[in-house]
Amino acid sequence: MPSSKVDRPPNRSLFRRWRQWLRAAHRDVGYLLVGLTFVYALSGLAVNHISDWDPNFNSYERTYQLPLGSDDWEDRALADAALAAAGLEEAPTDVFGVDEEVQVTTDSAELTITRASGEVLVRGRSPRWLLRASNWLHLNRGKRAWTLIADAYAILLLGLAVSGMFMLPGRRGLRGRGAILVAVGVSIPVLYVVLSGGP
Amino acid sequence: MDLYQRGEREHRAHIRRRRLLAAAAGTALVALGARRWIDDEATALAKRERRADGRPRLPPGQRVLSRFRPMGGVAGDPRPGQLRLRVHGEVDTPTTMTMRDLLALDQHDAEVDVHCVTGWSVLGAKVRGVSIETICRTVGVLDRAKHLIFEGAAGYTANVPLASLRGRNNLLAYRLDGAPLALENGAPLRAVVPDLYFWKSAKWVTGLRFVEKDAPGYWETRGYHNRADPWEEQRYALF
Repeated sequence: MPSSKVDRPPNRSLFRRWRQWLRAAHRDVGYLLVGLTFVYALSGLAVNHISDWDPNFNSYERTYQLPLGSDDWEDRALADAALAAAGLEEAPTDVFGVDEEVQVTTDSAELTITRASGEVLVRGRSPRWLLRASNWLHLNRGKRAWTLIADAYAILLLGLAVSGMFMLPGRRGLRGRGAILVAVGVSIPVLYVVLSGGP
Repeated sequence: MDLYQRGEREHRAHIRRRRLLAAAAGTALVALGARRWIDDEATALAKRERRADGRPRLPPGQRVLSRFRPMGGVAGDPRPGQLRLRVHGEVDTPTTMTMRDLLALDQHDAEVDVHCVTGWSVLGAKVRGVSIETICRTVGVLDRAKHLIFEGAAGYTANVPLASLRGRNNLLAYRLDGAPLALENGAPLRAVVPDLYFWKSAKWVTGLRFVEKDAPGYWETRGYHNRADPWEEQRYALF
């Protein structure tokens, strides 16, 4: 009795191999894009809600009190005293005195000293390193070379979407639940545009 | 355990998973949606108020927040002592102003409502600065100038018709709510144009360019509306 392998029509074998290649490509491209997907997804979540929080920095605001009599001090002396009170070991990059206030700028904070009261308002920030780097990449504010990487990512993502549709044959693929899920997925943006009135 | 019992057990586990998923999805929907659909007290109150010009105090699609949100952008140099504001274009006297030059001009305190295109508004923000009208008088803006381009850090621009900048509440602000501007709010100097969406109020302003022909700015060339009237909900450009 001849084996089924011998009986199988050559075109079916070719088709089966094609699907295997597709799955392998889908799998490997998927692995390749894990890092970039995390960058774009995390940054997308972070920036989508930018009106609720600062996705790049942790900001803080604190007040300190300088000793009595400091209202007579020179601007630079006030700046040094304010930095010491705030525990900032940075040299000021700018000391700007106006009538009632002295504004001190450092690399990580801005200090406002009220001469009359000796109160020091410190407003500073520390970067959220991972998100800041992700946002910087996502918003393409880096060098031009990143555009090439972002374009390649977008094209490969399209490849993943298309190859994903053809990975499984039959009812679990595009002839069954696959078609339903693709239709649901496509209808989400379409319905949103239609129901919201569009741009 | 026979096959029937095993099947029954798997079936129960499946139902538990379904319930868990449904509960999680429901909770997420409520958490995300409730804030959007139910007005907080400040928003509900603002919706009932009217401005002197008859328009509602809160433009459509906005909710009230208590303070400005940092909306990103490439920050400029926050040092007031290093500010160099270039005023140029269609003016009699092109000039570069320092912060002290600005402080020597007529100062204006205003309470303004601002409206961000992302949907938040801050009502009654106390700002101090120099009105655009004062700057115009100081440099002698020519009659042919029809638009002002705010120039910000890292090449940011925002275009505003001069006709929209009448009134002293349109200003270059250096103080907000009793303190110097914070870095994330555009220190040391930002534009405040309360009656247009807030992206027109450029942060970290370094230049004012008066022009005859309109020149869409950073966001206007990226799909946002050229005019940006919050009461008309002019958020995005039409196709």
